[in-house]
Order: sequence, then structure tokens, then C-alpha cells
Amino acid sequence: MALKKARRPSADAGLNITSMMDMMTIILVFLLKSFSSSDVSVAPSDQLQLPTSTTQKAPELAVNLVVAKNQIVVDGVPVIAMTTMPDSDNPGQSMVAVPEDEKRGQVITKLYDRLLEKAEAAKTLAEQSGNEEHAFKGRILIQCDKELPFSVLREVMYTAGQAQFGEFKFVVYKTE
Amino acid sequence: MARKKHTEQPEDLNLVPVMNLVTILIPFLLMAAEFVSLAVIDSTLPAIGPPQPVEEQPDKPPLNLSLAITADGVTVLGADAVLNPGAAPTPPVEGEVRPPTVPCKSGGKCTGVDDYDWKELTRILALIKDEYPDDENVILVPDQRVKYEILVKTMDSSREDVDNKGADGKARTLFPFVVIAGGAVN
Repeated sequence: MALKKARRPSADAGLNITSMMDMMTIILVFLLKSFSSSDVSVAPSDQLQLPTSTTQKAPELAVNLVVAKNQIVVDGVPVIAMTTMPDSDNPGQSMVAVPEDEKRGQVITKLYDRLLEKAEAAKTLAEQSGNEEHAFKGRILIQCDKELPFSVLREVMYTAGQAQFGEFKFVVYKTE
Repeated sequence: MARKKHTEQPEDLNLVPVMNLVTILIPFLLMAAEFVSLAVIDSTLPAIGPPQPVEEQPDKPPLNLSLAITADGVTVLGADAVLNPGAAPTPPVEGEVRPPTVPCKSGGKCTGVDDYDWKELTRILALIKDEYPDDENVILVPDQRVKYEILVKTMDSSREDVDNKGADGKARTLFPFVVIAGGAVN
């Protein structure tokens, strides 16, 4: 009985957290190292895999145009769903394309309307701020899946060009 | 006596406030952590590209460097004076198919990104850069079915020569200003 009482922990015995502290400190250092203040973020998925490149230019804030295998997204809002159609030159294979009824010639109509809205909004903002730095320069960040054929990219670029976005910035993964 | 007791039972450092701080910092840093680093490649529409140099060099025709990217390889256009020195420029013949300047490693159709001979392309572009040191523009003319990944790789190969580093350890800059042309509309 007396033995049992002695084994009971005394009231002022603290939890030993030194080992947990060690772990936390290491995690903290690692996370601080990978800290980023980048304005641009990507959500990688099966449908959007960016290519890698040796370029060293840092991304800057602009209208964000995502061209994934299944859809086109402008600033987080889906605009157009993509379709797959049989490749006329390579029988048995299919390629991703913008649906024909969404296009007027080379222009993707819904995308054009949305981008024009963005351009007008950016211009109004630039006018109100009156600051040279915020002037509308037609910059657009393009995140494009690496498997997409150039025909899709060309239509997207042409549409963006028509909507006054002429300075393309292709977002890629940086290789060290 | 009191001193002796002190040495027997050293006081533990109170780590609880530090723990609190660290526990709060970790979720915050996790949110802001970046596990892939992003970069951008600049390109402009052909009409509003970077300003062309105005001063004309009478002894040298202007370089109008284009890279045609197809499934067969990469063809360098507009630099015949460097590629075929001495030969008279041959006008393109209707229906004639010229072999690409940089064919696929496997011959025939390229099977993937690594099948294109990027090192050879960079070598040829470095030769052209030797002749035209002031020129910085290149026009890409890709085929409809060329994948975006290959386009990016071409831009990488034409931007700088990573195998030819200067005295400062930086890769030699070749043609950093890329303009993507629409290619043939079919």
C-alpha cells in the first residue's frame, strides 16, 4: 500500500516536452526556409501540369488565365469546358480542343467577354489611382498544361490579344 | 545547506511559452510554404513586340530568325547565311519539303520532348549569335499539334546556352525575346 502511494506522481511533476521542442524547432526552420511571399499560386492537378523551364524571372501579379485539359479558368472562375475530339491526322488518337460552338472564327467568345471585362476593370482602376505604376499594360499570366497542343494555346493567345492583353507571361516550374 | 539542495534538484527550464509560440507559428508557415518555385517566360504578341533596333547596318541584312517546330524536328529559318555559308539563298519551291535543320534523335517523327535534339539547336543558335551579336529576337512557328511542353523547351534552348558559361559563371544569352507566331491556320 505504501509502495503504491510512492509511485503515484507528485502534483508538481511537469510534462517533459524537450523532445517535442526539438522536433518543432526543426520543422520551424524547414518551414521558414520554404516560406514564400509569391503573389502567384497554382493548384496542380491531373488536368493542369505546368512544364519546367530554366527561366529565372519571378512571376508578378496579373490576370490569371489557367488553361487546363478540362477547362479554361480566369481568375479562379471557370469560363469554358474543353472537349476532346478525334485527331484527323492521327487516327485513333484524340486531342483536346475548344468546342466549336464556343468559337467565332479564332476567338473564344466567352473567354473574350470575360477578359475584356477584366481589361476594362483594370483600366478604370488605373485611371482612378492616377499612378503611373498601375497603368494597364495588358499583362496576363498563362498557366497551361504541358500536354495541350499548340492549336488550343494559339486560340487562347489570339483571344487574349483581341481583348487587349498582349504581354503574355507563361507560368512554369523553375528548375534549380 | 540550501545551496546543496539546489544542486541536487536543478530547476527545469519552462518551455511552455516557447511551445505555444512555435505551435502557432507552424500552421501559419505551413500555409505560406512554397514547395515548388514558379517562374515566368515573357512573350508578346507579334504586333507589339520589343522595339526593333532602328539603325540599319548596310553591310548586313537584318536577321529575321524563326524556328519552325514540327513533329519532325526544328527548322531554323532566316539564317541561311550562317547555316550554309557561301551558298546562294534558294527560294522555297512549291511543294518541296526540306528536312529540318535539327531532326529528331530517333529520326522520323519525334516521340517526346527528349527526342528533340535541344543541344544541337542551342549549338546552331550560338553560331548564329556569333554572327549577329546584337540580335535578341526569335520567332517561334509551331505546328498545330506541337505540345506546349515542347514550345517551352524550345524557348529554353534559344534563351541561353547553359553549356557555354561566361567568366561570371552565367550562361551565355542567345535570343531571349520570344514571339510566338500563329503558324498556318488550317
